[in-house]
Amino acid sequence: MKPQSVAPLALPLFLPMAAAPTTANRTGSWSTRQPRYQNKTAPCSSHCPCGEEIPRIEMLAARGEFAAAWRAILQENPLPGCCGRVCFHPCEGNCNRSELDAPVAINALERFLDDQAHRAGLAPGLTPLPSTGRRIAIAGAGPAGLAAAWFLTLLGHSCEIFEAAAEPGGLLRYGIPAYRLPAAVLEREISRITTLGVPIHCDTAIDSGFMVAARARYDALFVGCGNGRALGLDIPGGELASDGLAFLHHCRAQDPAAVAIPGPATLPVAVIGGGNSAIDIARTLVRLGRRATIVYRRRRADMPAFAHEITRALDEGVELIELSAPLALSRQDGHLELSMQKMRTGEPGADGRMRVVPLPGETAALTVAAACTAIGAAAAPPWAEWIADAAALTLSHSRLYCREAGSLPVILGGDLINREESVADAIASGKEAAIALDLLFRDGMAAVAPGVAQSRVGAGDSLSLEVYLGGPRASRSRRVVTWTDLNPDYFTPAPAERGRSLAPAAATGSFAEIESALEEEQALAQAARCCNCGLCNDCDTCRTFCPEAAVHLASARSVNPDYCKGCGICITECPRSAMTMEEPLS
Amino acid sequence: MRSVLEGSQAAAEAVRLARVKVVSAYPITPQTHIVEELAKFCAEGSLDGRFICVESEHSAMASVIGAASGGVRTFTASSSHGLALMHEMLHWAAGARLPIVMAEVNRALGPGWNLWMDQTDSLSQRDTGWIQLYCADGQEVLDTTLQAYRLAEAVNLPVMVTLDAFFLSHTYEPVDVPTQDEVDAFLPPFVPKFRMDTAAPLSLHGVAPINVYMEMRRSIQMAMEAVPEVFAGIEAEFQTRFGRRWGAVDAYRLEDAEIVLVTSGTAAGTARVAIDQLREAGEKAGMLRIKMFRPFPVREVRQALAKARKVAVLDRNCSFGAGGIFASELRSALYGAATVPVWSYITGLGGRDVTVETIMNLYTRTRDAVQPETESVWLELKEELLQA
Repeated sequence: MKPQSVAPLALPLFLPMAAAPTTANRTGSWSTRQPRYQNKTAPCSSHCPCGEEIPRIEMLAARGEFAAAWRAILQENPLPGCCGRVCFHPCEGNCNRSELDAPVAINALERFLDDQAHRAGLAPGLTPLPSTGRRIAIAGAGPAGLAAAWFLTLLGHSCEIFEAAAEPGGLLRYGIPAYRLPAAVLEREISRITTLGVPIHCDTAIDSGFMVAARARYDALFVGCGNGRALGLDIPGGELASDGLAFLHHCRAQDPAAVAIPGPATLPVAVIGGGNSAIDIARTLVRLGRRATIVYRRRRADMPAFAHEITRALDEGVELIELSAPLALSRQDGHLELSMQKMRTGEPGADGRMRVVPLPGETAALTVAAACTAIGAAAAPPWAEWIADAAALTLSHSRLYCREAGSLPVILGGDLINREESVADAIASGKEAAIALDLLFRDGMAAVAPGVAQSRVGAGDSLSLEVYLGGPRASRSRRVVTWTDLNPDYFTPAPAERGRSLAPAAATGSFAEIESALEEEQALAQAARCCNCGLCNDCDTCRTFCPEAAVHLASARSVNPDYCKGCGICITECPRSAMTMEEPLS
Repeated sequence: MRSVLEGSQAAAEAVRLARVKVVSAYPITPQTHIVEELAKFCAEGSLDGRFICVESEHSAMASVIGAASGGVRTFTASSSHGLALMHEMLHWAAGARLPIVMAEVNRALGPGWNLWMDQTDSLSQRDTGWIQLYCADGQEVLDTTLQAYRLAEAVNLPVMVTLDAFFLSHTYEPVDVPTQDEVDAFLPPFVPKFRMDTAAPLSLHGVAPINVYMEMRRSIQMAMEAVPEVFAGIEAEFQTRFGRRWGAVDAYRLEDAEIVLVTSGTAAGTARVAIDQLREAGEKAGMLRIKMFRPFPVREVRQALAKARKVAVLDRNCSFGAGGIFASELRSALYGAATVPVWSYITGLGGRDVTVETIMNLYTRTRDAVQPETESVWLELKEELLQA
């Protein structure tokens, strides 16, 4: 049987249909408010002392645009290889993602990007502004001085660095052991700065004579030479303890195995202090085949050292004696005797840290091969007197002195000034000094404080060169995006990953770097975990949801006022708070 | 290929074979298996279509309206409260003359909450302009869904293919599933008579002023009036290709029947058994299953009941204040053409079983009565629950 076909129908299809599209109806004219694209500030950025634009860095990294991500870091931080290894990463501590699962591994990603750039042989690709003819002397080739040179050079000023030690790097070279920061990483970062045309004169300390001669040769002096005077142990026999930082310095300046450590190897070396230096000294001792015991007057939880570094140290065999304050050191037959006052916790102090008070009559003694201190350092002369001088413009990370007309402007930064003695804060201080001097040269002293204030990121002290130069970031709202500003529907839990670590037994055999970089796939996944808080990443959610099809994509994303009725769905749906409602419509 | 399929799966298979491009639905028991199956087909790629997840049935219908306006074949499915929530959009789909096909699983409306069989949900939508086709088994669901696309696209009206909750949606039966080539030959790609196209902007469904609205409504009614004939033609072609024909109405042992039972959906299967038993007992009993409810096939019904002496309608639905809905429709259809009395019975609401005994009881009452009651008679009620 042949299939029958149905005869075509002659039915009217009478519909409301017009050739003119409804775009003739400018429905947006009814609106009293309108959304606009307004990038805001992410908490990671505002807590990064260097003011890195982390949401954009991670957005680029997640797209596999590693070079662009790396250059975005360099815009605000010349030392990503170092910071990616040793930064205390307050960015992660303030990551909104903590509200969902765990912070984005921003620190590990920074290292990945720098390692990747190094492997690829990338150049920074940042062009300094035209020369201003100004010359700046920089005291100290540590992170503060290096950063000052980087940013001043980008701003068109000519710099020279003077370093007292035999090699540049400051605490990066002499204070942080190689297992945390290999010398090669530091050296490639320093060469990035010297390649910009910044000479570094080593073995050249800046003294009073230099200051006198400098007036004629320079337009300003930046001092970032750190705290040169180690604090001693103010107890009977305190002079028997050696300076731990000097020990670390020796271990970096020569073959560590050649550094003499007194006393029998069967006895531990006491390391007095609770900061990262104490941990680094103890772990260096372990690597040199010695036992190390950290003696700290407060509790482990109160130690200023990074918690994960403390854990690693203990895993590597370092011992820790908490709540014990050194009372006296005495030399015995071939070794030292450290007597200690046992402490207990008291009330929290004004700084929020738990105070400790002695337990009357309770002391203990420890037989040690040697003792070394890691209880901090203070400014060496003449900078101690400068700091005491109140006649300065005090900024968050630097102090600017213009003592009298015609005198050489001097700006102090780094550990001399910073409340937080960290690498990132040292870099921040170099950047702040560069911006302050640029403002001083251009518009005079009165312009410095307001100009620096205008270059802040978010509500805190974090500072951005790009904002200072009026780049795209300058149009950002300073408002810091919180988790409640985000649309949680768009973010699902994903595991946080870090690089692999050497096992303690393998790690203590050498000074080889412990942490590995993220693998590329891990880096992509970690960068994709970033919510890009406050930054439009072209996810297109606004356009997808706009009931009026009023979101337009041209060179930039925009809302067409002819058809936007101000319903606000785009703002409600925007995963990352990159839009703002303007009402009433002006 | 002969497969053992649930009624729900038969519907989903038909949608896959129809090469539907956009499916949008919101799950509701007992329709869920249909959309689960289709979501799977879309995900695995065995159906080259988009499954649009939505937050409500209103949006599901709005989505398929949008997609159909773009000129592609669309499908949705719902039931009970979900269908009720679509109500506004059902009017829109028909008014917009969009050939959308929907599977509707007949389920009771609450409160009290009840997941089981009751036809009041779809019958409440009888005035929305949708063609309604009530199926009795899995094979008919598959066949009717394929035919529905032909029908919808021929007359530019949406079609609701209706399945009894659980009795059909969740019951496995042998179903002959045609090959894709066979279906492609029967159901060629959809060629829309009009469509939204961003390259050639136009406005659709704007204002219809007083001077044209009535003509637009009339054109919908004209399309509806053409449906029985168009459907008969489609069924004829389907029969030549696949060897099956269901009919807008389905007569069983009607030739010399004096008392004719009229029903719809799966109750017809039970009724066939009862009719056979009555015939064995010497009764001149027959059955007419009404498949097409909208448009109501007046001509076909009149013809089928021309010789009947009494008609008894078994309704598994109720229009409160009027009674059994099929009975009302049937009386209207017969009025002026025949004087045969129509008994109206209501039973089987909310999933209660309609057994052979129920039908025997109904038959005996009808046979022994002189004339029908004014109101519909509710069978097998638990009277003790209804004491004031």
